[in-house]
Amino acid sequence: MTSFLANEQALEDWLRRQAERHEVYWPQRMGKASYAFQRLRRRSPLRLDRLDDAPASKPFRASACVVPPGRLLAPMQELLYRFEPDDDGGYRFIPCLDPTERLIAGIRPCDLKAIHLMDAVNAEGVPDAHYLTRRAHTTLIASNCLQPCDAHCFCEAAGSLDWREGADVFLTPQADGQQLVECLTPRGEALCADAGFSPCDAPEERRQSAEAHRPQPFGRQFDAPLVKVMAAVDETWDSPVWDKHVERCFSCGTCNLVCPTCYCFDMRDDLDIEHPGCGSRSRCADGCMLPEFAEVAGGHNFRATPAARQRHRVKRKLAYLPTQFADGSFCVGCGRCGHQCTVDIDIFDIANDLAAASEAPHAADD
Amino acid sequence: MKPKIAFFDMASCEGCQLAILDCEDIFLHILDLVEIVEFREALSETAPRFDIAFVEGSIHREMDAERLRSIRARCDWLVSLGACAYNGNVQARSNALAPGENMLRVYGPEAYHRTQTDPHYWPLWAHSRVRPLSQVVAVDYHLRGCPVDREEFLQLLKRRIAGALPRVAAQAVCVECKRAGNECVFEHGDTCLGPVTWAGCNAVCIGGGYRCDGCRGLLPGANLAAHRELLREHGLSEAEIDNRYRLFCAEEVAEATA
Ligand code: SF4
Ligand code: SF4
Repeated sequence: MTSFLANEQALEDWLRRQAERHEVYWPQRMGKASYAFQRLRRRSPLRLDRLDDAPASKPFRASACVVPPGRLLAPMQELLYRFEPDDDGGYRFIPCLDPTERLIAGIRPCDLKAIHLMDAVNAEGVPDAHYLTRRAHTTLIASNCLQPCDAHCFCEAAGSLDWREGADVFLTPQADGQQLVECLTPRGEALCADAGFSPCDAPEERRQSAEAHRPQPFGRQFDAPLVKVMAAVDETWDSPVWDKHVERCFSCGTCNLVCPTCYCFDMRDDLDIEHPGCGSRSRCADGCMLPEFAEVAGGHNFRATPAARQRHRVKRKLAYLPTQFADGSFCVGCGRCGHQCTVDIDIFDIANDLAAASEAPHAADD
Repeated sequence: MKPKIAFFDMASCEGCQLAILDCEDIFLHILDLVEIVEFREALSETAPRFDIAFVEGSIHREMDAERLRSIRARCDWLVSLGACAYNGNVQARSNALAPGENMLRVYGPEAYHRTQTDPHYWPLWAHSRVRPLSQVVAVDYHLRGCPVDREEFLQLLKRRIAGALPRVAAQAVCVECKRAGNECVFEHGDTCLGPVTWAGCNAVCIGGGYRCDGCRGLLPGANLAAHRELLREHGLSEAEIDNRYRLFCAEEVAEATA
């Protein structure tokens, strides 16, 4: 695959040129301390990473980006299909698929891995046509991380810092102020073919010498290796750790809704008031921390307490889904749930506590 | 036959009925589905019986309670329309005061003393206790909010006519905040009642740059102890916290902490 070197201005101009043809999304400042992946417009600021960015000047941070970029492929709410009466007394269903050409740039490696995992989830079993249609028309441009995003980050510990799979183009800032542009797929190749960047024949060394600037350790580290942490989560059922971390929990579902690997949804049917007999089915993001998530007909709730729900959430990320799919932890260490939770409940602390408790089983309840 | 529906108001600003009249653009379609038989804001007719009664406002006096019982007796299905009917809204703040003190504050010492000595005297509007509808009659469905959300009203109407009910998830405003992609109010330094408040408003106030003050009422099972602590950590005093809860959820917070 081809690689290039581009100066900052050339890369910026190139991205802006793409925005004339497709919907280009770029993480932009929102509110006081947050980011949102929004359409890149003529006047939108666009600032690439630099090798000498101090942690505080990193231009966009995963955990402060409330809605992860993968939600452009699986929107928080979407219309699935419309229905209307047909001529034989039945109904006709009209699926709502979205083949808009999109380019999402500024994706951090953690969110890139999350998209890779969601690709697998949505292709498995009954393929999710809505997701897969958007995905087929979406180009991903990822940005390497040379600094942890903030104090919430633990991507290295979760094994996603060096994730590149799924990106069409992968950017790494260089010591000379240029950007290394690695095309990782034919789609990425095609996109960069007429960009006018200068070819680079030693991308591997270029990337590695930039990565040598990363601080050591990179972000928060578990007290035990990831495999041990995951084993502890897998093996722990009854534990005071689950209760300890929900004392302040509101069951508000924020930790689910901001997670780049949460994909549960709730469905709703709607009838048109203007056109009798017609209507639609839509879905919206749901979350297993919400009190009614596991409630079934008759009122029984399989996970009636916050602790039972927290256990389920943590096991989904670090035990259940990693067993079902082969790519390691489904928690990618972006730090969003801990950052966005109003009472600082953090999956990092929960996992760490479980690992510690399983190392020293008798110390677990003091 | 089209179901007959009727609207009534008790102590309220009638803003919820206005929110319904705000369906102007599709009002004719609504009238294809239902027949409105009583609606003081829009009609002069009255009716002996109806299928669905929408009642706005809280109950302050015995004569209002009687009127509500008679409405209940004339309908199959009764819906509380808006925060006043659902939980007593801001009026219920006065429940935190003894009735006598309330009367003194509102009507002054002269009227207050006359109620103590004149058996025939009672100021026209004076009340002893603010009650949500459900403390007087059985309520079949609640449309929460100050004012109600017109979409939620339409959903209910469409569903009820189709023989079903909308599912109103008992979940916090934070859910709708996240779905809308808002920055959390706590993130920019203010405080918010969203974590303990019924969703259903699409976090409209936060989306508009304000915070949630809890007008849809306290969520069942809300973790009030943790929320109080969170507000304290963000610099609110106990009195300020009580005031924040009492604004829209006086009756419910009193019950939850009784
Ligand atoms: S975001 Fe925090 S308070 Fe809300 S459900 Fe998750 S852990 Fe609980
Ligand atoms: S702004 Fe309020 S409602 Fe929204 S997430 Fe924050 S606490 Fe919840």
